[in-house]
Amino acid sequence: MIEKEEYIKKLHSYLKKYVASDPTPGEEALYKPVDIYNVPKKEAEEYKYKSIKYIFKHHYENNSFYHDYCKENNVSPDDIKSIEDFNKIPLIADKFFKSYPEGREFAMWLATLYTGELPSIVIKKKDDHDGIINKFREAGLVVTYSSGTSGKHTFIPRSQRTFNAAEYAIAKSAITMLYPEWEYDINGYLLMPHPFKTNVFAGKVCGMYFDVIKDVRVALERELSADLIQQAMQTNLKGRVIRYAMQRETNKIIDRIINWLRKNDKEGNKISFIGAPFLLYFVMEKLEKDGEYFNFGRKGSIVTGGGWKIYEDKRISTEDFRKKVEEILGIPQELCLDLYGMVEGNGWMTQCPEGHYLHVPNTYYHVRVIDENGEDVAYGEKGRFAFLDGLAHSYPGFIVSGDEVRMYEECPVCHRSTPVLAPEVKRARGSEMRGCAEEMRRVLSMDMGGADA
Amino acid sequence: MLREWKEREYIPPKNMVKLFVKGSFELSKVMLKNFTKLKKVRQEKVIYRPPKRMYEIPEYKPGMKVVRSDEKYLRPTLFCNPYAKEIIALANHLGAFEKEPYEYANDVFEFVKRNVILQIVPIDGVVATLKRGYGSCIHKISLFIALCRAAGIKARYKLYALTVIDQWYDTFINVDPIMREWYDAMGYFMLHGEGEAYVDGKWVVADVGPTPERQVASGIPITKFGDDSIGIWADAIPGGIMRTESLPLGMGFLSKLMMNISPGSIARMNNNVINMYEKGKKMLEEMGGEEEYMKKMGGGMKMPTMKLEKKGIIFE
Ligand SMILES: [Zn+2]
Repeated sequence: MIEKEEYIKKLHSYLKKYVASDPTPGEEALYKPVDIYNVPKKEAEEYKYKSIKYIFKHHYENNSFYHDYCKENNVSPDDIKSIEDFNKIPLIADKFFKSYPEGREFAMWLATLYTGELPSIVIKKKDDHDGIINKFREAGLVVTYSSGTSGKHTFIPRSQRTFNAAEYAIAKSAITMLYPEWEYDINGYLLMPHPFKTNVFAGKVCGMYFDVIKDVRVALERELSADLIQQAMQTNLKGRVIRYAMQRETNKIIDRIINWLRKNDKEGNKISFIGAPFLLYFVMEKLEKDGEYFNFGRKGSIVTGGGWKIYEDKRISTEDFRKKVEEILGIPQELCLDLYGMVEGNGWMTQCPEGHYLHVPNTYYHVRVIDENGEDVAYGEKGRFAFLDGLAHSYPGFIVSGDEVRMYEECPVCHRSTPVLAPEVKRARGSEMRGCAEEMRRVLSMDMGGADA
Repeated sequence: MLREWKEREYIPPKNMVKLFVKGSFELSKVMLKNFTKLKKVRQEKVIYRPPKRMYEIPEYKPGMKVVRSDEKYLRPTLFCNPYAKEIIALANHLGAFEKEPYEYANDVFEFVKRNVILQIVPIDGVVATLKRGYGSCIHKISLFIALCRAAGIKARYKLYALTVIDQWYDTFINVDPIMREWYDAMGYFMLHGEGEAYVDGKWVVADVGPTPERQVASGIPITKFGDDSIGIWADAIPGGIMRTESLPLGMGFLSKLMMNISPGSIARMNNNVINMYEKGKKMLEEMGGEEEYMKKMGGGMKMPTMKLEKKGIIFE
């Protein structure tokens, strides 16, 4: 078996193009450790302290709106003297990154979010969101947004540097946890839009997949644009047509994946899947229906990310998914791992093979779980996921998300040294949705059921 | 006439009909199954005093301006008559034809959101709602729309069925099978929604349903004109969102029917809302106002202010 050090060194050599020549403390904390999820506690804290302190100072000094925000909160870099002081660093609600103005002001909004100077970017009158994003790209920036169906997207302006760090981080995170199964000579299937053709972060960040393995197929050649998704939500004829087309397209994709599985099975190749679980779930349902089973064993691995809603009314747990993978593709559960990340951040919580808890990369990424007053909740308690991101160089990555998580000081199953999140993360949606009707339904159903909730 | 109905979107969209039919079936099933319980609940008396109206209705004077147009999204639709005297008077009072469209729509939004208390009552027209001072979110949306249309601002409904949007019920409802059945059956009838006004070339969403006090009492942000109530979209099924010019026919009848299943429950629920309103009001007083609340809201969930910078951007 390959030594871990050798394994990571080899990986590093494939990821060379993402490595910064003048690393920040955060980047060092990402490149240097052999096992990013198992750095001795004290050492990890040193890395983290340096990373976050550095990056906080950077944004304080070079980002005007964040600077003002810190002033409002009476905090400056001098107040940060230990990891305990991280709680003083003002957090930004994720909603903030959705609150963009329309029209050409959108370009200014992106520029203001961006920390530091920008090269000159010429915006034409006719440029819409995508047009503006492209102009930023031509200037060397990577502006990505969240996928998803919500009316408003989350836009994040990344410098090439920050984006490279995100790519390096995702590759290292997944491959570390898959030790020792990764090698270059693998055939991969990306269950995402094509990274080079999309501006959706979750898709684009998978670009590194092409660097670390030999052959990559992409499931969705075309991008699902935000517009298209919105149109598909409509009740009108156009919406129906689009949904129908999507359905047909999906069926074709599924057939292609199944053929690919057969071929690799016959040739005895190693395979890997990365991406959204729902496509693979459809594949497995089809296989199951047709009574076709594979037995890839340790020759297969799967890394999923987000999107656990399979159909509109159906969610599956990562556990059920793993079981299905084992049953139908014959890939053992420890080689089926889920990643948890988001468009606003560059850190990846990765499941350990032993317990499938989500491990926090705690050398450059500081996680807090907070209640509605912004106070930390105790380990094991539910709260909102918040993070300080030592790799976010081009925008202040001190963010509270809407996701609901539980954090534990250490993994209940494996020996690794990092804190973990419980495997199932829930989008915390406040009680916003409790409109009048919802309230009515609740009261009525409580009355009838006789229960008291 | 049918064509006109269709054109004005009085005919409920197909998926709404589907929901209602399926819902009726589910509901009768559960009702039969839980007959005795239902009987007991129905006999229960709950004391309920409707809230007082919080505002005066301005006086109508002949010659007050109103936009009468037969254009889509501007004309009267079911339960929503923008030409009623009371509506015209209020529209003028709120500054229609004086303010910029966005400003006016925003003021209408604030008026309806803040002053009309949420109470579940059968669907009726906008004048009744205005005179009463309370109504369901559907009533409030209609009032918002009528006031916009009276001033010549296009406005429409954005409705969705709730069955499609709840995820959290796993924790609360799923535990008890009977409860779940009820809950699910009810869901087919429960439409929730927002209004939308067409200003400055785009549709702007208006979450007029909850008063700020209620939002405070449940610890959620106070929505402004243009704020979506987050989390809803993400869970609406494709085709689940209905944007229509009008409420559908049959809604008034259906809503009466629903209210009659268990009037006591409705009263209890309305009492809850009033209590929540009072609680939120007190919280706001203690906290020192809405701005303070929004600042404190979620502690870390604060929003920095942003002065836009141009940096290296050149506009051609
Ligand atoms: Zn573990």
